[in-house]
Amino acid sequence: MPKSPSGSDPSRRPRAKARAPRKGPALTEDLTRPPDLLGGEIAGEPTGAGDASALPSPLGESAAVGMVVELPARHRTAARSKYKPPAEPRFRIFIIDSGWNTVARRVLRHNFALIRRLRRENLIYLVSRKKSAEFIRRHQSLIGRDPIIAVHDLEAITRQGIARFHGFHLHLGILRTQRQALMALQTFAQFVGTRRHSQNLEAEIRRELRREGMLGVIEILLQKAPRALGG
Amino acid sequence: MLDRFGEAISVVLGALALAYLVYEIDRRKRKLRDLFYVLDSEEADISADLSSMVESGELQPYSREVRA
Repeated sequence: MPKSPSGSDPSRRPRAKARAPRKGPALTEDLTRPPDLLGGEIAGEPTGAGDASALPSPLGESAAVGMVVELPARHRTAARSKYKPPAEPRFRIFIIDSGWNTVARRVLRHNFALIRRLRRENLIYLVSRKKSAEFIRRHQSLIGRDPIIAVHDLEAITRQGIARFHGFHLHLGILRTQRQALMALQTFAQFVGTRRHSQNLEAEIRRELRREGMLGVIEILLQKAPRALGG
Repeated sequence: MLDRFGEAISVVLGALALAYLVYEIDRRKRKLRDLFYVLDSEEADISADLSSMVESGELQPYSREVRA
């Protein structure tokens, strides 16, 4: 049974007074706004903290009784002030995407929130489309390889600088199917999560991810899933 | 004569199959190397560029809280 309008709730107005009833104005704004950054809007992350006590009842009920429900303005500053950078991160992760309309880009956008959730102990830097394009223009060997997830091993950089091994890139742009892109992302997330205390990350990348060595050859021949995913 | 001809064909086909196998393994390994691209001295300029963007404040850590 739909709820009767409550006079105490400031967000509800009778239809006669209001403009035409809208269904989810905040949602349509999010969908029509061209996303310059990856993931956040598409994956449905909150744009900021809102006043929980003023949240309206589900739109379905309101629409049924012809009520106009205004969603409270969400304040971004509250959410930003809650962010605490991780203590002693091992990796610094950059996501570079200049905007090629590829399968890999769509897979990354749809799964970005999950990757963010899984890798909260690392610093993640989302490079905007404009900055990504400028960056790739400066380093033209990266053209066509984005979206790129660049992982810097802060421990290796502190120890030996960037003149030797200091991380790896995940070049998602070279993948052609959704399945390949998803598997690469899962492998990456699992690898980065389980190698936080690795003493020789380079060797593990070569063995587990790049499947170098005789065992890797056999795995490639058998088209097995990456060892990191239990293949 | 036909036997020898048959043997020669088998050897050639076997060699082609082996060559294809080697080529395919090499192709997949190259793809994996390209996919998981290890950074060393050759990519120092790329990494330095990213690091400078962080140090200058041009890039900030992604800070949107994820819904529990």
